[in-house]
This record gives sequence, C-alpha cells and structure tokens, in this order.
Amino acid sequence: MESVVITITSGKGGVGKTTCAANIGSALGMLGKRVVLIDGDIGLRNLDIVMGLENRIVYDAVDFIEGRCRLKQALIRDKRAPELYLMPTAQTRDKSAINADQMVRLCDEMRGDFDYIIIDSPAGIEQGFHTCLAPANRCLVVTNPEVSSVRDADRVIGLIEAAEKGPAQLVINRIVAARVKRQEMLSTDDITEVLSTEIIGVVPEDENILIASNRGHPIVMNGKSPAALAFQDIARRITGEDIPLQPLRASGSILQRLFGRA
Amino acid sequence: MVTIKGLREGLLINFGEGLWLSQLRELESKLQSNPRFFRGGRVTLNVHRLTLSPDDIRRAQTLLNQHGVTLQAVLAQDIHTVTNVIELGLPTRLSEAEAPRDSSAPGRPAKDAQALPDSTPRMPRQSQIRSTSHNSSVGADAGIAQDASRAIGQVEGSDGLLVRRRVRSGQVLRHPGHIVVLGDVNPGSQLIAGGDIVVWGKLHGSVHAGALGDTGATICALEFAPSLIRIADATRASRPGEKRTKPARPEMALIEDHEIMIVGWQAR
Repeated sequence: MESVVITITSGKGGVGKTTCAANIGSALGMLGKRVVLIDGDIGLRNLDIVMGLENRIVYDAVDFIEGRCRLKQALIRDKRAPELYLMPTAQTRDKSAINADQMVRLCDEMRGDFDYIIIDSPAGIEQGFHTCLAPANRCLVVTNPEVSSVRDADRVIGLIEAAEKGPAQLVINRIVAARVKRQEMLSTDDITEVLSTEIIGVVPEDENILIASNRGHPIVMNGKSPAALAFQDIARRITGEDIPLQPLRASGSILQRLFGRA
Repeated sequence: MVTIKGLREGLLINFGEGLWLSQLRELESKLQSNPRFFRGGRVTLNVHRLTLSPDDIRRAQTLLNQHGVTLQAVLAQDIHTVTNVIELGLPTRLSEAEAPRDSSAPGRPAKDAQALPDSTPRMPRQSQIRSTSHNSSVGADAGIAQDASRAIGQVEGSDGLLVRRRVRSGQVLRHPGHIVVLGDVNPGSQLIAGGDIVVWGKLHGSVHAGALGDTGATICALEFAPSLIRIADATRASRPGEKRTKPARPEMALIEDHEIMIVGWQAR
C-alpha cells in the first residue's frame, strides 16, 4: 500500500493541532497501521513532548535532511503501538531549515515503509505551512467552535484548495455540548454553514487531555473518555470506515450536567 | 488605446498600435483615477507587435509598482521585445491554464479564462470528497466545486466574471467588468469589480462595485451583509446596530444623492 501523507494544520494557533496529530497518529498505530508522525513545526518543537518521547531524541529531521544522520537514526520508535514512529524536528532552528522540496523528499524516503505519514504543521499562512502542505495527499484542518478560529480555518482551506491539495477535511476540537445548546459556542451546523467542508471528527472538550499531554501519554492510548473515542473514530474514518458522526452529548460528570456547567 | 481585461491570474492590460509613451500615460491616468481597483493586483501586459527597449519595459514596471501593482508577465510578438523582456527576468507568457484566448476568435466561450483571485484558488480535485449524509450543505458545495473545476469563467467579448464556488476569507476577486458569484462570499474576502456585483448567496465579505469610477454600479445579494460597501468613490460601513432577521431578503446597494443606499430587492 502506498503511503498517505496527511497534513494536520489550522489557521489559528493553539486550537489543538499537535494534540490531534499525536492522538490521530497513535489511534492509527493502535489499529495496527504503520504510522510515522513528523513534527513540522521547526523551532517550536512540541509533538515529542505530547508523545512523551522528548528524552529519546538524538537526531532530528533537519539532521537527516542536512546529511548528518541516516533516516533510521532520526526516527524514534514508540513501543505503545506495533509500528508507530516519530520524526522529531529541530528546536534550535527556524522554518527556513526545511523547504518544501526537502519536505517532499523526506516523505518520499518514507513512502512504502508506512501506511500513514502524518505531518503536524505550524498554524497560519506562512512558509512553514506551505512546506508542510507540499507533500500532502490529504489535509485535516483543526478548528475550535469559535468565530475567529473558523475565520482563520476558512483562509487556510482556501489556500489548500489553491494549492490543489483539497478538499480539506475538518476536525472540530474542544466542543462543549452544553455551551452549544446555550448558544454560547458555534455548533457543527454553524461551522459547516461558513466552511462547507466535510467534518471528519468532532472532539469534545476534555480536561484529561491537558493532563495526558503533560504526561506525554496521548489520551487515545488509555481511554474510554469522550475525546479518546472521538480520536479513535477519526482514525477509523481516515482508514475508510464509514462511521457516522455521533450526535453531541453533554459531556462531563452527572453533577456537572445537572448544574449546567461545562 | 489601452484596454483592461480580467484573467484567471490577475488582470491583462492590452496595448494598441500607438506610441508607447503616450499609451503609458493613458495607463498612468487609469491607475491614478482608480487606485482602489488596482492596488495589490497583479497584471500581465500584452504589447502585441510593439518594439520595446529594456528601458521601455522598465518604465512600465516602475509605473505599475508606484501604484502598488505587480507586473507578472509581458506578452509580445516582436522578437526584440521578447528578448528584452526575458533579459529583465520577466515571463513572456502565461502558463497554459492562464493563457488569454486568441482575440481573433471572439464569441467562443473561453475555456479557462476564469479571472482570478490574487490568492488564486484553483479548484480542488474532487477525488477525496467523502459523501456525508448528515449535512446536506457539504454535498451541495462539493457540487459547486465540481462545476467550478470545469473553470467556465469568463466569456470573451462579454464583460463579466462568473464564479461558481464559495469565496473564502483572504481571497480577492478582481475584475474590470461585472462579478457574479454563485455561492457564499465569506467574511474576510474581497470582491472588486469595475461593474456590478451580484452574489447568489450570502454576502459577508467586503465589496467594491464601480471600482473604475462607475457611480451607476450596484451590488446585490440574496443575503446582504457585507463588512464594507464601496461603490465608485463612496464608502459605507456595514449597517450598524441592525439586527439581521431571518429569513433574509434579497437586497441591493446603489448610489442615490452621492450616498450608498441599501434597498430591498424589487424587480424592475
């Protein structure tokens, strides 16, 4: 099977790209797929922390591209799934360290060895985003259910279409059913009305995600929590399974629900 | 005689047989009198059979740059002109998809002359669209995108740009004639037309009709809620404080007594 390169991006920062990349990649790995996660955010390295693999970095993608190591030396194996790898990036360099051609070459080197190559792209519309877009076969755009995040997602979806990498698919992250119900938060329908982009998953707000990220243990790996289930569903949809989007349920404990808190 | 057309990639400025310098002056007056239309745009010059020195071409480039316009290519038939253009490091033709149609065959619909946005969305290939049953508008847009991928944009000899897709945040459509959008115009986008603007959908972006000076130009939309409205030299912010009622009625903006008025759509 030829590798599918999936670039995960967003317009706005802080919407949960890295969390999505780590969890979707891990979920695919736990489904038995051969997966490599590439940290495309050069200079703002995060994916290794969220994956809990920070201490194992010896070489990184920039070292490989500049010829200081072999591919296998830069790849970090994550033993929590059968075939899950991380290609970390350099923390001490900036976005100019890897150009679009080099990113395409990096992915080409790995095509064939993996089912899914997942790139955690920087946010926005600058060079780093275009570098990560260049090798993509599919693009996931992460947005939060709020106006500014959706506006920026719209911009990025336009750029993805312009680069002929579309149609993008949307991950709506950090939704709170109770707040949508109270019309404090955009609903999936509100977002679709503006973006008309296929939604590949809706991830509920989950306080355990922060803890999981800090511990370097993606939530999808130990979980029955609503967010973990949402990431597992996204992974299965990526593999082509037809899983309908679940209607939103008020999340949180019964007490929280009773008192209407999110 | 200098004429301006919309292209898939930016604007095409055609030069006639006259003297280069006098035609440049004509272009300059167009740039000066319609700064909002040109600023930020990209143009291709078609100089046809004119023989131009490197200085001639540089003069045009400087003039355009002074008005915030980027010169992206110079089309020429004269071999010396072509050589000089190449020496200046400019392209001498548009890529296949962007090529203007041969003007000797008017009337035939242009296959790919869809004028285009400065941050040009070419249409996505459709192979990866998943059908989703839970939301009909996703499917609807896929259909629109598919139509647009045939890139039936502009018909040579007419003066309109037809866009069959959603215009997204950050995208700019600029056309010397009319602009018609079949689809929504999202917040953060911009439409700039020499003529009228018609949006068969929701208009939430910023719009400028009559951007080449036509005070008779109008803007209409099924749901009229632009962030900023300009017609010719008149400007009007979005209607402050007004509650949007649903369902929205089609409305139209036009100039009356030097001011932009917004009126409910009535067939005339």
